Amino acid sequence: MKHATITEATFIGDANSRPIRKRRGRPIHKILVSFSAAYFTGALVTDFVYWQMPDVLWERFSIWLIVAGLVMAGLATIAYAIDLAGRRRIDRPAWPRAVGYALAVLLALINAFVHSRDGYTAVVPTGLMLSGLVVVVLLVTASVAAFPANSRRIGG
Amino acid sequence: MHALRIAGSTSLPRVAAILVAVAGLGLAGCDDHAGDPKVQIGANPVLPKLQQYLMPPMRIAKVVGWGKDEAPTVPQGLQVHALATGFQHPRSLYVLPNGDVLVVESNGPKAPVYRPKDIITGWVQSFAGAKAKDANRITLLRDTNGDGRYEVRTVFLDHLNSPFGVALVGHDLYVANTDAIVRYPYQDGQTTITAAGTKLTDLPGGPIDHHWTKALLASPDGSKLYVGVGSNSNIGENGIGAEYERAAIWEVDRASGAHRIFASGVRNPTGLQWEPETGKLWAIANERDEIGPDLVPDYLTSVQDGGFYGWPYSYYGQHLDPRIVPQRPDLVATAIKPDYALSSHVAPLGVAMYTGTDLPANYRGGAFVGEHGSWNRTPLNGYKVVFVPFSGGRPSGPPQDVVTGFLDANNHAHGRPVGLAVDRTGGLLIADDVGNTVWRVSSLRPGSSPKPAS
Repeated sequence: MKHATITEATFIGDANSRPIRKRRGRPIHKILVSFSAAYFTGALVTDFVYWQMPDVLWERFSIWLIVAGLVMAGLATIAYAIDLAGRRRIDRPAWPRAVGYALAVLLALINAFVHSRDGYTAVVPTGLMLSGLVVVVLLVTASVAAFPANSRRIGG
Repeated sequence: MHALRIAGSTSLPRVAAILVAVAGLGLAGCDDHAGDPKVQIGANPVLPKLQQYLMPPMRIAKVVGWGKDEAPTVPQGLQVHALATGFQHPRSLYVLPNGDVLVVESNGPKAPVYRPKDIITGWVQSFAGAKAKDANRITLLRDTNGDGRYEVRTVFLDHLNSPFGVALVGHDLYVANTDAIVRYPYQDGQTTITAAGTKLTDLPGGPIDHHWTKALLASPDGSKLYVGVGSNSNIGENGIGAEYERAAIWEVDRASGAHRIFASGVRNPTGLQWEPETGKLWAIANERDEIGPDLVPDYLTSVQDGGFYGWPYSYYGQHLDPRIVPQRPDLVATAIKPDYALSSHVAPLGVAMYTGTDLPANYRGGAFVGEHGSWNRTPLNGYKVVFVPFSGGRPSGPPQDVVTGFLDANNHAHGRPVGLAVDRTGGLLIADDVGNTVWRVSSLRPGSSPKPAS
């Protein structure tokens, strides 16, 4: 019964963790990564609204959302480092996802600087484009990371 | 397992290449070395192409203060000495008819945090000495026997709200706090005012109050007061609604307190003066930031009744600023090009038209301008008092450095000049809000020597 539960959790939430390892729920860094992805996506929405209706309130929403996402990314990195330190070896399947996520965070960091400009050009066009690019990179990373992991699970 | 390994090994270098490319772009955007400020002086400043940054160039001078016996430098034939020291952020000066000098010790209201940037900016400014203790008072200095030493020092007015401008009309003393003009009764020779003030009119103040200083100048007949009201942002980033009746020079009727906008589109008019020959109103203004080390030159200009000077939509006439949307082509079409550029980011915060007789004759009729100094330009610009010669009521040549040495060879700031005034005997007074000193520049005559600080 217990064995079956772990397998199901692995299938839905975390394709990389293996049933042989004793894990209690999701690693903290994955929760934090989800938060940052949600913040970055929120910034795209508020950027879009600003583009349509340039009221400074939306630009302020965007920059705080981006910064909140970056803070979460920083915390996720710390949590991941602690996770790594506690493990014997690094999971190879984690690399594409880690690199894709790092790229998204770097773009978000550049976006935070663009959003710190004064006036309309804090968002349109560069900020809006970067916000979109961050979300695209996150989506691509999620799908690329999920696909080979699943095929490995099925194949192995 | 095999397929996975391939996916991992091919994507890594590709991603690394993208990361390097992005980082390279970021660095390329940081080429911010400024040109020669001399080409941005006078009626036709050279205006480079507008740039926008990931990280706007910031370069602040480390504050070291004045050591014992240290003083600014003046040209041959002049002398400078500290009139008084130990102030708390002296910002502006006013000379009463009996020769008493009022020193306005002031600081801005606490800036609200609307964006993460505001936290960083506040932190950076604290290094440049912008956040001293809040005195918010006016100190009176008196020379009782005319020897150039100011023996009497009293607190003239206390518990003010970020005061800046002062103007006396008859027995009415007006103080421009950041949010209101307040009138106090003043009797000749008074060294302290305890009477409660009467509000003449509100001025645009908080909660944002980005440019908080309110310059004040009475009309020669005393019927009107002119007030410099700075913008509430660098370039409209707090919304155009926050700019209502700001970035303007107000004309306030002294009898009723009613006001009208005398001129608009002046981003931060911090000094107002009557040009002695023509009797026209002149102002200095701080222009916008973050579009390059050589944009936009700060200026000295005559102020036309009803004139529009561009901010925020355009600068130097019709040069559009893309950071403001929606644009106003109707206003931009009427935008007046300022008379005299002082070069970029020098931050003029004080102006004095010289009508005294103590200084050499070539200074008569011209304008001294106190340049507080740049914080977002490399190399640093300003940090001195310059003299702009006038002829026929117009600037007639390049500015001359008069008081320098606020910045040393290591780019450390001993002080920063702000407000200027001419005292009763014709000496030029300079408020130094980082050195916390009031300096006096006078002619060096045979036998006279610089007087020590009182």
